[in-house]
Amino acid sequence: MTALDLPRRLMPGGGVPLAWRNLVADKWRLLRSSAGIAFAVLLMLVQLGFERAFFDASLSAVRALDGDLFAMNASKYRFGTYDPFAHRDFDAIRNVSGVASAAPLYAQWMAFWWTSPVDNKPHLVRVFAFDPEGSPVFLLAGIADQQSLLKADDTVLVDRDSRRFLGMDGDPREGKINGQTVKVVGSFALGPDFMSDGTVVMSDRLFAKLLSGGRERPQTLPVETAVVKLKPDEDIAAAKQLVSAALPPGLVVMTKPELVAFERKFQADLSSAAPIFFLGTLVGFAVGTLISYQIIYTDLADRLPQYATLKGIGYRNAYLVRSVLSQAILTGLAGYIPAWLLCLAVYRIIGQVALLPLRMTWQLTGISLFLTLAMCLLAGALAIRRVIAADPAEIF
Amino acid sequence: LPTDADDPPYLQASAVMRRLRVSLHLAWRILVYEKGRTALALGGVFIAILLVFIELGFFVAVPQGGMLVYDHMRFDLLLASENYQYQAQPWQFPRERLTRAAAVAGVATATPLYFGGGYWQDPKGGFRLDFFAIGFDPAAHPFAVDDIERQRDMLEEGDTLLVDDTTRPIFGPLNSGRELLINGRRMTIGGTYHLGTGFLGIGVAMMDEANFFRAFGRRNNPVNLGLIELAPGADAGKVAAALRQALPADVQLFTRDELKAHEDSYWTTRTSVGLIFGSGLIVSFIVGLMVLYQTLATQIARNLPEFATLKAIGYADIHLAAVVLIEAAIIVAIAFVPATAAALALYAMIRSQTLLPVMLTVPHLLGVLAAVLAMSAGSAMLSVSSLRRADPAEIF
Repeated sequence: MTALDLPRRLMPGGGVPLAWRNLVADKWRLLRSSAGIAFAVLLMLVQLGFERAFFDASLSAVRALDGDLFAMNASKYRFGTYDPFAHRDFDAIRNVSGVASAAPLYAQWMAFWWTSPVDNKPHLVRVFAFDPEGSPVFLLAGIADQQSLLKADDTVLVDRDSRRFLGMDGDPREGKINGQTVKVVGSFALGPDFMSDGTVVMSDRLFAKLLSGGRERPQTLPVETAVVKLKPDEDIAAAKQLVSAALPPGLVVMTKPELVAFERKFQADLSSAAPIFFLGTLVGFAVGTLISYQIIYTDLADRLPQYATLKGIGYRNAYLVRSVLSQAILTGLAGYIPAWLLCLAVYRIIGQVALLPLRMTWQLTGISLFLTLAMCLLAGALAIRRVIAADPAEIF
Repeated sequence: LPTDADDPPYLQASAVMRRLRVSLHLAWRILVYEKGRTALALGGVFIAILLVFIELGFFVAVPQGGMLVYDHMRFDLLLASENYQYQAQPWQFPRERLTRAAAVAGVATATPLYFGGGYWQDPKGGFRLDFFAIGFDPAAHPFAVDDIERQRDMLEEGDTLLVDDTTRPIFGPLNSGRELLINGRRMTIGGTYHLGTGFLGIGVAMMDEANFFRAFGRRNNPVNLGLIELAPGADAGKVAAALRQALPADVQLFTRDELKAHEDSYWTTRTSVGLIFGSGLIVSFIVGLMVLYQTLATQIARNLPEFATLKAIGYADIHLAAVVLIEAAIIVAIAFVPATAAALALYAMIRSQTLLPVMLTVPHLLGVLAAVLAMSAGSAMLSVSSLRRADPAEIF
């Protein structure tokens, strides 16, 4: 079906495309009404987008992990909390059959301060560390392909999408972490979440050196998460059982979807972002319904004599109802399409400035289209009583 | 019609008044003529104003989450490290700076505060949660919170803490007597207090400084913040200047106003909070403008024949414009009252849910009223352009 067929398809009864002709009869009015609906739709899209972006930002680190199974302390209530387990427990995983590789991921959210070249002050950053000789721990471009650079002494990779005040986006050559100078050998793009403003990736050796002044060696460093890859064609559920069995009871093993769901549940339960943006979407819907009601009601009121004439010459109410509802849908689409296009620009601009992963998805498109059509149909259904009540004998 | 220019000046003025009265009368008659339509217009404008109130509330209040705990502390000046970021990342400075500050003329007291991020776990196991602890000397009364003052004896018990009652449910029951492992050390909940966790974290607790030092393995030096109270009658500006003179550059001093400006700007500009709610505010203004314009344009379009008649009998465009402007102003003024009432109710709801200080201040109220009146005047002027086209000869 092409776009040009649409008005024809919506023609009730196969005669004159009444809904379409009514819609385009007055170009100025069409512009006015679609602008009204478009901004209500934009309001909903922006609020829905923020809600998604909030979750996506907090899930981005977990999603970037490159593994089939993840082992960590059962007392971890979210991924982003320092709660490591003993290194000797980690070693048991390597011997489980079906495991292709297991790499320890070390992390700290509250112990590393990056001196920003922007204001020369120390700022808390998130740090991920791993053995650069081992198998990759992150899927992220810029980490997986540059991890060999971390073999050199005192080298780090920085997140160029970190908050601007950290000065990681200006291609810095050198940086200072906890007072010690480090060489910046590359960058990746991960973005901040609502806890960390920026991220630094380093080798396990440097991690141990900066944290304990070198007293601890990587071989004994407590592990935040074990990133496990299975051999090809290995059954994930069965392997999960085997890995769990090899570990002491204080540790849990999760698949990647389980880890993402775990993190999502934490965010959903504890943040007030969802209700705030839900309220925004709801208001957008209410405003949109009201605007569409005004548009449809006015249009019906103006054309009441014509509708009465149609009734007078024998058209049934069902025809008129279909016509009005078709016009409601067309009006909704006339507002939706420009709003959707405008929203792409809004997402892009706000996403870049606020470092938020605002992205138009099929799901967002579907939800917002559904809400738009729902508000227009609701408004049409409310306004239609006038047409049904129209008495041809009384109108003139 | 005789022109006003022929009249003496005092009569010209009264002629203007007379015309204005006629316009006012006409606008009122239009509004009461079709009550259904007017109710619809009022509903639309009501929602538009409410939308602006909601977005403004979030935009103003969310950054204030950063001030919540400060607002309940007793101090005239706040002493902080030169590296101070925001409340939850205050950095630290030598206790000696407080001793030096206390010796400055006009300073009554200089009280240290200790901040720490710790771990909270049930002795039976389960999640090990991050919480935020504040340590202080209860005798110094740094907090103006009744619950804390009242439970001073409890606070001074060994290994006891008071917990904010808005600490999230994931922390489990907060009943007094519950035993906990705080950083691995056995402590007991002595009671709860009602303040709000602000942006300190998802769980906040207060401790006597002796308990804090034991739980966090710290000493009384360095300190995280210093609360300075002035002697009665001391001039805050002069004392602040003297303090800045007396203290080295590793600390900085904030008056209450400066602190509020600092925290607000941290949350609005450094994080994405300002942008998220700022863009919500802008979109809400545009949607409000659309609703107003849609409503007014519809009203005028419906009365176009009548306006054309008025033109034909000699009314100038400016008088018709006055009618439209007055009509818009009346609609806004009437819709503003229930919108304000609804906003107050919504704010109270948000306040009790989030403990964010969402307040409807007089400047905000007047600001929204002015903005909405300007928006309605703007959309009235836009819709008046269609009036100018009202050609008496063509309309009928």
